[in-house]
Amino acid sequence: MENNTIKTETRFHSDKVSKYLLMGIAFIAVSIVFFIILFIFGNSIDAIKNIGIVELLTGTSWRPGREEYGTVPLITGTLLVTIGAILFAVPVGVGSAIFISEVAPKRWRATLKSVSEVFAGIPSVIYGFFGLTFLVPLLRDLFPEQLLFGFSWLAGSIILGIMALPTIISVSEDALDSVPKSYREASLAIGATKWETTVKVVTPAAISGISAAIILGMGRAIGETMAVMMVCGNAALMPNPIFDVFSMILPITATIAVEMPYIVVGSTHYSALFFLALILMVMVFFISMASNAIVKRTKRKFGEVVEKETLAGKLMSKIPVDVLNASKNILAILGLFVMSFLISNIFLNHVAAAVMGVLVTAAIVMVSLLWLNDLTKENKAARPRNPSEFIEVVPAGFKGYLKTSAVYVIIFALFYMAAYLLIGNIEAILVGLAAVGAYVGLRAASKFIDSRKTQMIAHSSLFIVMLFAISMLAVILLDIFRDGLPMITWDFLTGYPTNGGRAGGILPAIVGTLKLIIGAMVVALPLGVITGIYLAEYSKDNSFTRLVRYCIDILNGTPSIVFGLFAMAAFVIYLGFGYSLIAGCLALGFMVLPVIIRSTEEALRAVPNELREGSMAMGATRWETTVRVVLPAAIGSIITGTILSIGRTAGETAPIMFTAVIAYQSSMSHSIMDPVMALPYQLFYLATEGGGSPEMQSAIASVLLIIVLLIFVTASLVRNYYSKKIKW
Amino acid sequence: MIIVNNVIDIEKLNLWYGDNQALIDVSMPVERNKVTALIGPSGCGKSTLLRSINRMNDLIDNCKIEGNMMFNGEDIYDSKTDVIKVRKKIGMIFQKPNPFPMSIRDNITYGPKIHGVTDRNELEKIVEDSLKGAALWEEVKDRLDKSAMTLSGGQQQRLCIARTLSVSPEVILMDEPTSALDPIATSKIEDLMIELVKKYTVVIVTHNMQQAARISDRTGFMYLGELVEFDDTEKIFEKPSMELTDRYISGRFG
Repeated sequence: MENNTIKTETRFHSDKVSKYLLMGIAFIAVSIVFFIILFIFGNSIDAIKNIGIVELLTGTSWRPGREEYGTVPLITGTLLVTIGAILFAVPVGVGSAIFISEVAPKRWRATLKSVSEVFAGIPSVIYGFFGLTFLVPLLRDLFPEQLLFGFSWLAGSIILGIMALPTIISVSEDALDSVPKSYREASLAIGATKWETTVKVVTPAAISGISAAIILGMGRAIGETMAVMMVCGNAALMPNPIFDVFSMILPITATIAVEMPYIVVGSTHYSALFFLALILMVMVFFISMASNAIVKRTKRKFGEVVEKETLAGKLMSKIPVDVLNASKNILAILGLFVMSFLISNIFLNHVAAAVMGVLVTAAIVMVSLLWLNDLTKENKAARPRNPSEFIEVVPAGFKGYLKTSAVYVIIFALFYMAAYLLIGNIEAILVGLAAVGAYVGLRAASKFIDSRKTQMIAHSSLFIVMLFAISMLAVILLDIFRDGLPMITWDFLTGYPTNGGRAGGILPAIVGTLKLIIGAMVVALPLGVITGIYLAEYSKDNSFTRLVRYCIDILNGTPSIVFGLFAMAAFVIYLGFGYSLIAGCLALGFMVLPVIIRSTEEALRAVPNELREGSMAMGATRWETTVRVVLPAAIGSIITGTILSIGRTAGETAPIMFTAVIAYQSSMSHSIMDPVMALPYQLFYLATEGGGSPEMQSAIASVLLIIVLLIFVTASLVRNYYSKKIKW
Repeated sequence: MIIVNNVIDIEKLNLWYGDNQALIDVSMPVERNKVTALIGPSGCGKSTLLRSINRMNDLIDNCKIEGNMMFNGEDIYDSKTDVIKVRKKIGMIFQKPNPFPMSIRDNITYGPKIHGVTDRNELEKIVEDSLKGAALWEEVKDRLDKSAMTLSGGQQQRLCIARTLSVSPEVILMDEPTSALDPIATSKIEDLMIELVKKYTVVIVTHNMQQAARISDRTGFMYLGELVEFDDTEKIFEKPSMELTDRYISGRFG
């Protein structure tokens, strides 16, 4: 008996010790997080003092050489390139997600999803390389008059759009998939087609999740550095006119990356770059707040909790249905107008005339057909059923039709006048007119088509959209592998570079990349996992832990270039490490630290509470419960999260470019205070300034791609293995 | 047995999920304006049978069906049959109330709009009639624009019934419609069913034998995918002809 008591005491003792140990380590991690945020804030104070917040935020000229630090062109650049990317990525991404979730056979789903997840892992420098070698020349050939070099806002938006696609597809698909099956059954059981169910029940129910997906995609676009830097032209210009997609621009992230090597510590320029980093963090903060709020709302909606009436909901219910419908229509038309306007701006000299002609004719034919139909139909009940009146453009009856047409003509005339006054570009406006005409015509035509045909048309269009998304990603891989794979030989992989890194082998770069990954993991893995465990299992939910979580979330979404800036200032300069392996490892490690903390915490939170209660109810201590019950149940997700962050580390360029890497080494470095070579930077260097044969560049890109893809495939295998093993 | 006036005639229906046969040679009539109950232990195939009447099993991959399912003399599984019309004419109520996350009004008008009703006055009338038909009108008439999620469980289930009524079906299938409800809500739904059969035909799957005895006119007892016995409810509960049925009814099962 006595023996047992002692045992119990030791057990409780070790429970306490482990608790304080965890707490101590978590404290270190949390201090790092706070330190980074304070460091960036502190360093930007000088700029605010010297230049003044008003001048910083409203000045329209960014010329560090002349001490002009107005951030308006940079913020505009970031916003424009993001908006362009979203305009491109949202229709394609959400369409593909709907196809994968609602239309594709179940067998395809897993494959399609993992394909899109693998693409999410492709390093941004690869996207940038593709943009530089494929897209930019292509745009230059397509638009020789508007684009002298091909570097442009347009190129940046297309590349960012492709990059945002996997995020948008994956998150939207999750949202659609989490709509309860019972909604679908209820709708089908009442005789709706699958497509009607998708449009009217499933998508509206998933709309919060889809918005979160779009916001996350925006976050990715705002924070992207390497790709935009390689294709946008990097000139701090305001597009004139503002929608001139051929203009070169300089987004915030690219500014930091381009100017970082020239800064002098303590100068206003130095501080101004930190101020830019601060702006990025504020943007990311609002984005993560918005997506968190949306996700929370979604959870409440599908839960058992009765929906509370919000102020917005109250106001909405006060608005008459007609006004609501009409404003939906106006919004749709306005959106179409803007889209078509942008498109016509790009294509005006090429195909606009033909497209315009076809659209206008189609619209006229369809509208007149509808008129005839209304005039000849006597029996209203015998009208063909109208499956898609989500936005009801054409109500029943001839008089109603005339009335609405008149309203649309007036609305459109207003747009027309406003646009003409503002821009004076008649052709572009005509294209817009044609698009709206086609829209109204199509809605009218849908009256003639029964729901089954509508479904067929809709599903095949979605299929095409998804093929488009996948082919876009496939083109990237093909383009790089076609030139790169033949170059990869044993000598290439194990040889040393010659000619300043432009030729020869890439062994030091491969080894350097591995060293950086390992170093970053040494920094981040124990700290991150333990902090995650502490936050999930031990911390109480008070205002301090909430603050900690906020800070971790902010850093989690912070663009990698900010970590590069931080590490360069703190380690390379202040601590005098110089360009060194250790500075790079710290930069990468701090970058993935919040990712690992969050993924560990989430993995643990996903473990059902019943397991913990079951263990504690038998007299196990919290520590025993954590180690023996909770961790084994969550280990699969934790390992997956870790592997994913390794993949991210392998491809990152921005944090190491001015902290750890050089472009040429004739022998391997041995000290952690020496710089290293790394694959992503080598690719960036050769593609932008170094030169070297295109095959050499593609070969480096291929090796990097293969390494990263292998890491991601491993992650998904691990996840599948564990998800089969553990189920609740 | 009664031959006249069957809405549905099931003849030799066999159904497989992959290699697993879930229904074996089931033959059963469903009489117009009567409540037909299906009872039996879990996994006996009663829900499968119910869901095959309005082809909800189409949604399940690798589900294979043989045999005839005649609805007003037409085979539901004929390749020419429009599954959408079938589901419009044969509505379904599910185990757990599943209103859409929309307003009460939009829940009701969803079906009619899908099927082509656009006239606002007509829609208003459908809303009122359907809700009255489901005995919910008095409780919700002042808050038609509130979210359906604000209703109680029993009200939600009656809303689902109203939603089904909105497209004027002939048959209403109910898959354990009261198993998620408390006794008071259950008795309201049962009263409603007795009202409903004046105009519609009801087929109900239930675990609750008292419920079957209280409300149904005909009862079928299923076991391991087979329809063991089908007869007047009174006879099933008082003098079943099969030993197995007797043991199940009296609780001496297995």
